[in-house]
Amino acid sequence: MRRMIVDSSSLILLAKCSLLEIVCGLFNVFVPTAAAAEVASEDLVKKYPDAALISGLISKGTITVQSPGSAGFPLPISLHQGEEEALLLAMKLGKSLLATDDGKAIKAARFLKVPFIITPKIVVELFRLQKISFKKARSSLEKLGKIGRYSPEIIADALVSLMEEKYGKTNNHKDT
Amino acid sequence: MAKPTTIRIPEDLLNEIDQFVKELKLDRSAYLREVLRKGFSADKQDRLLMKYVRGELSQMEVCQELKWSPWDFLAQLKARNLSLNVSLEDWIDSAELNP
Repeated sequence: MRRMIVDSSSLILLAKCSLLEIVCGLFNVFVPTAAAAEVASEDLVKKYPDAALISGLISKGTITVQSPGSAGFPLPISLHQGEEEALLLAMKLGKSLLATDDGKAIKAARFLKVPFIITPKIVVELFRLQKISFKKARSSLEKLGKIGRYSPEIIADALVSLMEEKYGKTNNHKDT
Repeated sequence: MAKPTTIRIPEDLLNEIDQFVKELKLDRSAYLREVLRKGFSADKQDRLLMKYVRGELSQMEVCQELKWSPWDFLAQLKARNLSLNVSLEDWIDSAELNP
């Protein structure tokens, strides 16, 4: 099973779309220590259901919390601790995919040649891999636009990709 | 402890403030402090969010500066009708899932 390093921005969006557990079933999901504190602290768990879900998955060991240690070199772009640790963890663990929905973190990932994925792409890919239904994928993309604040251009493009996946395949996806 | 400072204010604005303070029987200094605090907070939020939109700040850098949770951040983007700072190019260049 491959590794996916998820930062706080993607953890929240995956939780909002009810896709976090599915992703955890497909990948060894790692979250840096600082990002775990950003989204699953005791105070946040009391206030936000997404935080409670993330905290629960960490407690069960479904999500591994790990610190990458120090970089040993200055990063080309300044980031907050959780975003920086996610990048470093992806580099240190190797053969890892970084899930992030932050433009600045993506810039740094490009520079460091760390493969990255954004949540709308995860949605389309989960459908391609027949892990979610078309209906679920479409509603997740709509949620990413409305609640996740993804730009209409990206959501429109993602919906087109989803349609292309649907009509390029036999209709044997789960219907839930 | 409050410290004194000096600023130049256009006469018409100062007259309007003085008149308003008088009408509402407010303490002039306390009122100006409150207005300055509110205005500074709103302006700081706007400017930092614009830096985020331009990709100069990350989501969590904004959250740290403004003492917001990531959920507050999304709510504030919605309130201002702003989008995440992820570009179409980022979507196109996203890797595929190969579990």
